[in-house]
Amino acid sequence: MSAIDHSPPLPNGDSTGTAIQTTGLTKRFGERAAIDSVDLQVPRGSAFGFLGPNGAGKTTMIRMLLGLTRASAGSMSVLGHPVPSERAEALARVGAIVEEPRFHPQLSGRENLRIVAAARGPQTQARIVPALRRVGLSERADEKVKKYSLGMRQRLGVARCLLADPLLLILDEPTNGLDPGGIQEFREMIRDMVEQEGRTIFISSHLLDEVEKICDHAAIVDRGKILMQGAISELAEGGARHELIVGADDVERALAVLDGCPQAQQTRRSEGNLHVVLALDADSSVAECSAAINSTLVAAGLAVFRLEPVRQSLEQRFLEVTSRLSDTPAEEVAA
Amino acid sequence: MNATIAAQMTGADILKLRKKRGILIWSLVLALAPILIYFIAAVIEHASNPGKYGPAGGLRNFSDGMRVIALLFGPLAALLIGVEAGTGDSAAGVFRDLVVTGRSRLALFASRVPAALAVTFAMMLGAYVILLIGTFAFASGLPTPSGSLILNGLGFLLLSTGMMCVVAVGFAALTTSKPGAIIALIAWLVVASPVLANIEGLGGVRDGLLSQATAHFSPVDTGGGHGATVTMAGGTAFVVLLAWVLIFLALGAWRTRTMDA
Repeated sequence: MSAIDHSPPLPNGDSTGTAIQTTGLTKRFGERAAIDSVDLQVPRGSAFGFLGPNGAGKTTMIRMLLGLTRASAGSMSVLGHPVPSERAEALARVGAIVEEPRFHPQLSGRENLRIVAAARGPQTQARIVPALRRVGLSERADEKVKKYSLGMRQRLGVARCLLADPLLLILDEPTNGLDPGGIQEFREMIRDMVEQEGRTIFISSHLLDEVEKICDHAAIVDRGKILMQGAISELAEGGARHELIVGADDVERALAVLDGCPQAQQTRRSEGNLHVVLALDADSSVAECSAAINSTLVAAGLAVFRLEPVRQSLEQRFLEVTSRLSDTPAEEVAA
Repeated sequence: MNATIAAQMTGADILKLRKKRGILIWSLVLALAPILIYFIAAVIEHASNPGKYGPAGGLRNFSDGMRVIALLFGPLAALLIGVEAGTGDSAAGVFRDLVVTGRSRLALFASRVPAALAVTFAMMLGAYVILLIGTFAFASGLPTPSGSLILNGLGFLLLSTGMMCVVAVGFAALTTSKPGAIIALIAWLVVASPVLANIEGLGGVRDGLLSQATAHFSPVDTGGGHGATVTMAGGTAFVVLLAWVLIFLALGAWRTRTMDA
């Protein structure tokens, strides 16, 4: 984002290289824990998805990080500064949209940015024009916000975030209400911010597909607990089952051969192929198991024309862990 | 927070108030219309029956006009502006976006007060100019207010409306409800306060009423009605005004600092 004037980054102050770190963070509303002892690490320079169903505690988590509401227990730091004790320093280079972006409807887009720029400090006024240009609102900046579409308000919300020249952007359900074109545009803008500008983006969403496309790291949260966190690829592949699609000239015989194969935990027929659940242990990889299965089939005189690992999507993992939660006590899953 | 940031934040709050057309128009109507109507009615009366009704200007009408704008309609206008300043950010849902800037909540609250006062005083100056024009233009040889009375009158008008404005900012920030704050403050100003002031059995308790303490500083006879019915020492009146300001500012600041944004 060349249009934004970059001042020198703030001192890191955080040797772990995390943009956000929480330890045992808890928020209680009476007896109910909206956030329950959450340990979260958001790596700097990443797009991090905070993924969970509605009511999982995503917005509560964001509100605590931004000092909008107090934590009941635990500690947190943002850009290396403990919150709330160094809240002002922590938020100086943070931009955020919480829930939906709200503005004074009687003011223009530019005037709304002036209001926030006044609170951020004199150097911020100079960022208004570049920020409006960055989100494509220069032409409509002097219209009253009450005439803006939801998509324009979302973009103005991002422009408001950019006034901080943020090292960290926290966006709560940012694509809500956007049309497909707007979503695509938004995705590209976020990826640009991470890849070209080195910013950290923390996105809360219940849209798995969205997080998978935008983010490189994620945490899955439900009922106030973090169920998993890590790189998206690790989360998606980190399930209990690794499957292989096998195509052979004689499916019936292949099924019988694999029945006694130690690398095949379970085999079933599906659409003219075989779906094999691999029996992985600590010493074997998916590739080694696949090779062993291939060898077994070939040794049995079968012609193998397809060996394809099934790529687990984040959605499958998400459903797996959250549905597991509904059947199992939360403590057991978290453990 | 340095003076530049404070000035910019106050400027931003003035911008919000200036662009809130509904509140601005109603406040202008309350500030200007009564004094205009007062003079128009007095001019018509005088023109229709000069023997019974004296000229519309002069010292007596200045005093009457002062009572109209400084003790009732001016404070009403100030109340609307103060409530808007105190609740505008919360009502628009942008308070959290201002908190997210890292600026202290106390600073966010504090910038509203001078902004509301600036807008209120601008309106009151307009109303006072109309009062002076009417006073002098329609005097027809009647005595007119002296220079010191004019200055004292302006000071009193700003004191009266400024007090209500500051109390309204604090009270509105405390309640965070614009309609609730407006209704409660109007009820207090128009109904409860005059009624309490007229209950002699309350004795010295009435010294604590904002309207009574304010009226103590009036340079013109405030008579009964919405004016002073209680006499008190200047020091007492000053302490009462200070207490009202400090208490409501403290309550508004406390609420702004502690509420979930």
